[in-house]
Amino acid sequence: MKSPRILKEHLTGYLFITPQMIVFLLFLVYPIMEGFRMSLYQIQYSSEKFIGFDNYISLLNDPVFLQAFFNTLVFVVCIVVLTVGFALFVASSVFDKNAKYVSFIRGSYYIPVMVSMVVMSMIWSFLLNPSSGLISYLAREQGIGNINLLGNKITVMPVIIFVTFATNVGQAIILYIAAMIGIPKDLMEAAEVDGVSRVQMIRHILIPSVQSTTVYITIINIIAVLKIFVVIQLLTGGGPNNASVTLMYYLYNNAFKFNQLGVASAVGVIMFVITLLLSIPQLRTVLRVK
Amino acid sequence: MMRNRIRPGREPYDMVTNVIVTFFAILNLFPLYWLWTSSLKNSADVVKMPPDWFPKDITFSNYVDIFQNQPALRWTFNSLYVSFVSTVLVVIIGAMAAYAFSKLTFPGQNVIFIIFISSLMIPKEIMIVPLFQITQDFGLINSYGGMIWPNVATAFGVFMLKGFFDQTPSALREASRIDGAGEWRTFLQIMLPIIKPGIGALFILNFVQVWNDYLWQMIVGQEKNMKTLMVGTATLMQDMNPNFAYKMAGAFVAALPMLLIFILFQRYFTQGITAGAVKE
Repeated sequence: MKSPRILKEHLTGYLFITPQMIVFLLFLVYPIMEGFRMSLYQIQYSSEKFIGFDNYISLLNDPVFLQAFFNTLVFVVCIVVLTVGFALFVASSVFDKNAKYVSFIRGSYYIPVMVSMVVMSMIWSFLLNPSSGLISYLAREQGIGNINLLGNKITVMPVIIFVTFATNVGQAIILYIAAMIGIPKDLMEAAEVDGVSRVQMIRHILIPSVQSTTVYITIINIIAVLKIFVVIQLLTGGGPNNASVTLMYYLYNNAFKFNQLGVASAVGVIMFVITLLLSIPQLRTVLRVK
Repeated sequence: MMRNRIRPGREPYDMVTNVIVTFFAILNLFPLYWLWTSSLKNSADVVKMPPDWFPKDITFSNYVDIFQNQPALRWTFNSLYVSFVSTVLVVIIGAMAAYAFSKLTFPGQNVIFIIFISSLMIPKEIMIVPLFQITQDFGLINSYGGMIWPNVATAFGVFMLKGFFDQTPSALREASRIDGAGEWRTFLQIMLPIIKPGIGALFILNFVQVWNDYLWQMIVGQEKNMKTLMVGTATLMQDMNPNFAYKMAGAFVAALPMLLIFILFQRYFTQGITAGAVKE
């Protein structure tokens, strides 16, 4: 028999989590379930018709969806590789320098993250503007001629990948620097005594020591890239000829432009499943820590 | 120890990489410099080629323009209001739940915590359709409530603050209980003040996140007066007006508070961002 004191503590526990629980259920759990349900319906305004997996089947037959899926995949791979590679490079070069310098590096790479993708997209759109942008001007000066990097099917993805990478890499740099500062000093001192070069030290001590951070950065970046929207909307609108359309942009268009709520929900479900699968390794680490 | 070793930090490799890193760090700030200076140019100078690297005739007319001809003041208020209220709510309900998970025991505790944590990775954007529907059902489209509540549904506060509560000694709580304080009072008067740094970090991180939120705010705030600064500014971009200078002024206004927050609270960012990630 549990004592009344313990029962009271249980009750208090539930009371303390209740507010969080309510918003969680209303604005997270319910939408997820509802998303699954809606993905099985054909929805036009207020009329709904159950159609089973037809939305999913029509997605697989839609070249724009396949393009969006492919683009998102390219996006994810490129961003993750660039981010992890560059952030490791930056962090491993600066982590053992004096505090002021580290904080300058951290700050200057993090400021674009702070000012948001919206603002950064606006600036890049201005810089890349084919007639009056600085980059286009510099290209003309270099004798490359008139370029329209965002209007060209071949260059549009690399440019958007670069803009996204440059705006977001700061977070990975902060995480890596923090992780590297946390590596026990004696490891590095021992290596120093053995006379290893800095490159060897980075390869054999630093990079292996921050592996869990690498996993974390990889996952949060994949998920961040999955939901990429602003940069596409403000820079290209998915064009030219769908060359830069992503899953999130495709979802948005279907939901709020073409009024295809069922189809949009199906895309959401697909993205949800991908996200959930991706977060399992991270979840494992969090729980192991516990 | 006569070995002639090179001290790390003095190697040529290290020096070269630091030059590269510093160079890119400065280059990385260039777009923001360009934003700032462009916003101070008049509409002719802003597209002039070759460009003025430093603005020649500094004008504030672009700023006057967006505040007079666009409801930028209203947008700023909306952003402040939505970010502030969302964040206060996140902190309150997050702290309560985090306290329960950290210091209290109740059946199902671990399972519920795991479910909360697994939701952390799921961006609300992917269920934007049903989220929009439920918001509409509640009559919250074009209202602050619609902009705020979905932002409060994150478990990030619980996750972050639990880490801070875990570090506080349980003896403190027990002492307070023995002195006859109820759980609620112990929470408010003993435990919350101890985790102030955590609350600070959460507050700033969450405020910035909501301030920079875009897709959801764009969908919910459809009326011109209900837009947040980010959304309003972005609509300037899609304007047919070819004058880039006033668009840049709008973007700068949207970025400025974040720049200030960052300069003032840099420490909190490092703390907050790493709180969830770098734990061995």
